Amino acid sequence: MPLTLHFEGQTHAVEILARQPQLRCRVDTAEHVISETAGDACWWLTLDGRQYQVWRVCEGERVHLKIGARTFSVDVIDELDATQHGSGSDELRAEMPGVVVALRCQAGSLVAAGDPLLTIESMKMQITMNAPRAGTIAAVHVALNQSFQKGALLVALEQAAETPPA
Amino acid sequence: MPINHLLIANRGEIACRIQRTARALGLKTTAVYHFADRHAPHVVAADAAVELHAEVPTAAYLDVTQLIAAAHSTGADAVHPGYGFLAENARFAAAVEAADLRFIGPQPTVIELMGDKLRAREFAVKHGIPVAPSATQQGGLQAFVRAASAIGFPLLIKAAAGGGGKGMSIVHHADELAARAELAAGEALRYFADGRIYAERYVDRPRHIEVQVLGDGTGKVVHLFERECSIQRRFQKIIEESPAPNLPSALRDEICAAAVKLASAARYRNAGTVEFILAPTGEFYFLEMNTRLQVEHPVTEFVTGMDLVEAQIRIANGEPLWLTQSEVTQTGHALECRVCAEQPAHDFRPATGAIRLLRVPEGPGLRFESGIQEGLAVTAAFDSMLAKLVCHASDRNAAIAAMRDALAATVLLGVDSNLDYLAQIFAHPEFVAGRLHTGFVVEHAASLVAAPLAPEDQAAVLLAAALADDGFRRMAYAMPEPHASIGHWRN
Repeated sequence: MPLTLHFEGQTHAVEILARQPQLRCRVDTAEHVISETAGDACWWLTLDGRQYQVWRVCEGERVHLKIGARTFSVDVIDELDATQHGSGSDELRAEMPGVVVALRCQAGSLVAAGDPLLTIESMKMQITMNAPRAGTIAAVHVALNQSFQKGALLVALEQAAETPPA
Repeated sequence: MPINHLLIANRGEIACRIQRTARALGLKTTAVYHFADRHAPHVVAADAAVELHAEVPTAAYLDVTQLIAAAHSTGADAVHPGYGFLAENARFAAAVEAADLRFIGPQPTVIELMGDKLRAREFAVKHGIPVAPSATQQGGLQAFVRAASAIGFPLLIKAAAGGGGKGMSIVHHADELAARAELAAGEALRYFADGRIYAERYVDRPRHIEVQVLGDGTGKVVHLFERECSIQRRFQKIIEESPAPNLPSALRDEICAAAVKLASAARYRNAGTVEFILAPTGEFYFLEMNTRLQVEHPVTEFVTGMDLVEAQIRIANGEPLWLTQSEVTQTGHALECRVCAEQPAHDFRPATGAIRLLRVPEGPGLRFESGIQEGLAVTAAFDSMLAKLVCHASDRNAAIAAMRDALAATVLLGVDSNLDYLAQIFAHPEFVAGRLHTGFVVEHAASLVAAPLAPEDQAAVLLAAALADDGFRRMAYAMPEPHASIGHWRN
């Protein structure tokens, strides 16, 4: 089964075609011959005779890389997890850590898609977060001036009536 | 008695930077830290470390009472504020002096004067320093709108107590002035607890030129030449250099002389920076004076061969200025860039994470100044600047080449940073040609995006990532196969 990777907004497939005499892989539609020289954080990858110096560190399913003079992050997708993603529009989560500087909704508020719900500030930048869809606010999980971490649940919408339970 | 034990009322790279000079001078240091910073390098390297208690980490470094108590309890006899936090807080400076400690900075009255942008402007005007045509807020909003309109459009609205781009706004048309002024006043009130605003002529394609000065408090002042800080994003500098490229020497001398005149008139004591806006026409206007050590001070240190922290300490010791203007020289070219935890592709949105891998470039004429190390968490609690990369070479082209090499050799993985973006700027033909202005990154946004990867390079990235996956490695090397050999095992 090919390995699924997410890189810069695109999904890619990497598949092993042969292990002997050399490792041969298919990346999307192109085939490549690969060899590596072992290393710890830094090692050399040879792809079709071309050598790359690679710095690499893993963090969960995300792989951080420095190759040549450029930095990259690639997500290696666990196929089992992938099926459980989706929905999410019932929740407004923080894309980055910050503090709430304005709160424009409360539990029970009726909102239209795009209505501003709250304004957050993170390191000198203000971002207004809007309702992902029309609905009723189920709960506001933060207070004015409260700080929060990345990924924190800020506002939850009541589940839309027409959406069947997940 | 000369200073012999310094409390550094700061954190991060500047705390480490100050410690380095203190050690070289044989001074002891006290570090202060919030719990969130307990593993930070500035804490480890000090002779004494005192934890400051506060719920919000930044509040700890702003707690005057705890800072002074920390100085007394560890035997410090002076306080260095670094930059940011309390560095330009007149009440802090006064409190330090009232506690029988030396403050490494100017007299509190001078901090107060320069901290109020309106008073500082008036002071500059009084001493014949050019300022941009402006209107101050006297009376109500209506009066302000009338006065500001008279300057002509576009104009810039700023907060009197401002800084860092807060409460600042460019107004292009008369009909949006009232609304923008009200907004700016509100923002000024929220950030600086001072809702006064003023408007000044907006100079199109301006350059930011600043002058480093040293004064001993008697009116004697020398300048350490200029720095160009025109490469900014969201009103904040990201690249600085000295000398300023393509600046006629007569104009440079005029700007430096204006800076000296202002600092001298204020009987300035300490290292300080006088900032100017330079119009494409060659007119320059006083912007503000920063009464502290500047983030970008290393570029001046490289070209003048002076240690500015040492100079600050000597001045604080009461030493009369030990050099004349003709003894200050400028050699070669220095560049600095600020490595920040952010996503340049997403409007420079701040990034957080943990520093998983860090490799720092080394070499002659190179300084990597940071307060970070592998394993350190980068949170939203503090400023997004992680490090400064500074290099010095014989001329600007050589310095740019050295900077590009240094950026390529810097490995910083685990948190998104602007490393690649900075490399794009240093490679940009307009930057190389020295055609700089403060709108550079906006004007050249399209050509500052990294070129798309060649298909084979993208395959290399994807395979390098795939080979980090245990399951994939097992399939590639370790799965039983008639011809598989143990020799292909790799880690």
